[in-house]
Amino acid sequence: MTPAPCPRLFEVEAASDGRLTGLALGNFQRHMTACPACRREAQALAALDEALRAIPTRQLDELQTRREKTRLLAAFDRELVKPRPRWSAPWRLWPAPLAALVAGLFLFWRLRAPQPLPVHAASVVVRAGSAALWSEQSEGPLDQIRLERESLWLHVDHSSQKAGRVVVLLPDGELEDKGTTFTVSAEGGRTTRVAVQDGSVVLRLRGQLPVALGPGETWSPDPPPVASAGASAALAPLPSVTLSPLTHIASRPSSAEPVTSALAPDPALDFRAALATLDAGDNAGAAAAFENFLLKHPRDPRAEDAAYLRIIAFRRSGAEGSMKQAAQEYLRRFPAGFRRAEVQALAP
Amino acid sequence: MIARGVRSQPDACAVPYPSDPEIMNRLASGELGALGELYDRYHEPLRRFIARATSDAEDVDDLVHAAFLAAAKSASQYDGRASCRPWLIGIAVQLLRRRRQGFGRLLAVLSALSGSRSASVDPRPRLEARGEVERALGRISEPKRVTFLMAKVEGLSCEEIALALGVPIGTVWTRLHAARRELRQALEEGAEP
Repeated sequence: MTPAPCPRLFEVEAASDGRLTGLALGNFQRHMTACPACRREAQALAALDEALRAIPTRQLDELQTRREKTRLLAAFDRELVKPRPRWSAPWRLWPAPLAALVAGLFLFWRLRAPQPLPVHAASVVVRAGSAALWSEQSEGPLDQIRLERESLWLHVDHSSQKAGRVVVLLPDGELEDKGTTFTVSAEGGRTTRVAVQDGSVVLRLRGQLPVALGPGETWSPDPPPVASAGASAALAPLPSVTLSPLTHIASRPSSAEPVTSALAPDPALDFRAALATLDAGDNAGAAAAFENFLLKHPRDPRAEDAAYLRIIAFRRSGAEGSMKQAAQEYLRRFPAGFRRAEVQALAP
Repeated sequence: MIARGVRSQPDACAVPYPSDPEIMNRLASGELGALGELYDRYHEPLRRFIARATSDAEDVDDLVHAAFLAAAKSASQYDGRASCRPWLIGIAVQLLRRRRQGFGRLLAVLSALSGSRSASVDPRPRLEARGEVERALGRISEPKRVTFLMAKVEGLSCEEIALALGVPIGTVWTRLHAARRELRQALEEGAEP
């Protein structure tokens, strides 16, 4: 008859594996001294463990051990002295998208950042007088501001690529910005005053030659009887406008002499005015302006350019005869001119 | 000729015997000699463990080699326990796991390329000489085998095994129980005529 197994037999394994601790372990060890079944089980487990420990393994002799150690140390030494891995190719590339991301965020921030002044166009600041009658219209890069009455102070930021062209449409002509800051006034259907604080503008009035105005220069159609009083009256509604000193206000001569001679004796301004007229598409006006430049500044270094551009202006305006005549004049005046070859093709 | 003085021999006891944490500190700072000391101290038990766990496979020496190199690379993460042995065995177990997933083939290729591996031994005589226990051990799954060897041969506590394997202690107990049951069953089957 086989004796019934001890109900605590499973605790032998638990004790062997460390699942019994403290009082439970002590209690079971006391039980085991009196329980032959549990003792036999414990001996069987111990024998199994001993058999495992007795499993033979291939041992290295001393020479093989030294070889293995040398191999290990040599490998570790190679790890120590080899250059640290530099950025692998993918890591070398990450600054590019990161820089693009930063640039994108910066642009986004710049575009979203509130402008310090009331902006009517991308980069045009307009401050109107209290009684000013004006409007604004933007078409692509062209920003047109129509002034009917009173005064506007304008500041154009040309550092921005969005500035484009800014033209002030006046009752009797137009004013094109070529610089940064200016004031323009109109009254009674005609332009009454243009004052440039910074940069330059080109004033094109109907029936008159274009006028280029530089920094600190002021244009008005009639000699102001009391310059300071007139200027103050015009500027009074513009609280934040900084105008040039009144001493800069120049009066237009009453003679038939071209406006530019009184206001812009500098040939550079005359040339810029003529060029602006050409750029504006007023080809006939540009041809006249360049002709005027050649008459006034025959020895100026830009005379050859003016003569050539006069030909171009005639060509654009479709005045074939005038163009050929202008080309002949160019060849006669500048026989070794820089654009001689081109002009010869245009001359008869 | 009378000797005026006696030159004392260096006292062997005075030679400092660095602790495992000290060796690991030096190893973390890149000292080559520290790895040599660690190897001298633990290469035998580590090799024995790996040999039993792999049925004395061909790549035992490569696994020992890789375990020491891995230990050297991660010496700075050593947790400061008094003995490195459980930690080294834990590293070896990780390598065995990777080996099971194909790392062994990579090691074999690398070893073949290095050309400095010790000469291989014909495994047939060893296989023939295997005892019943070894055969039974080879029949149980590697996780159970490794766990059982760590506990019953290497003498690690279940907590140490759980830490080394990254498993709960209950899993260690379960594996031990299952391994023991399968081993005994295999031995009983082998003993039957």
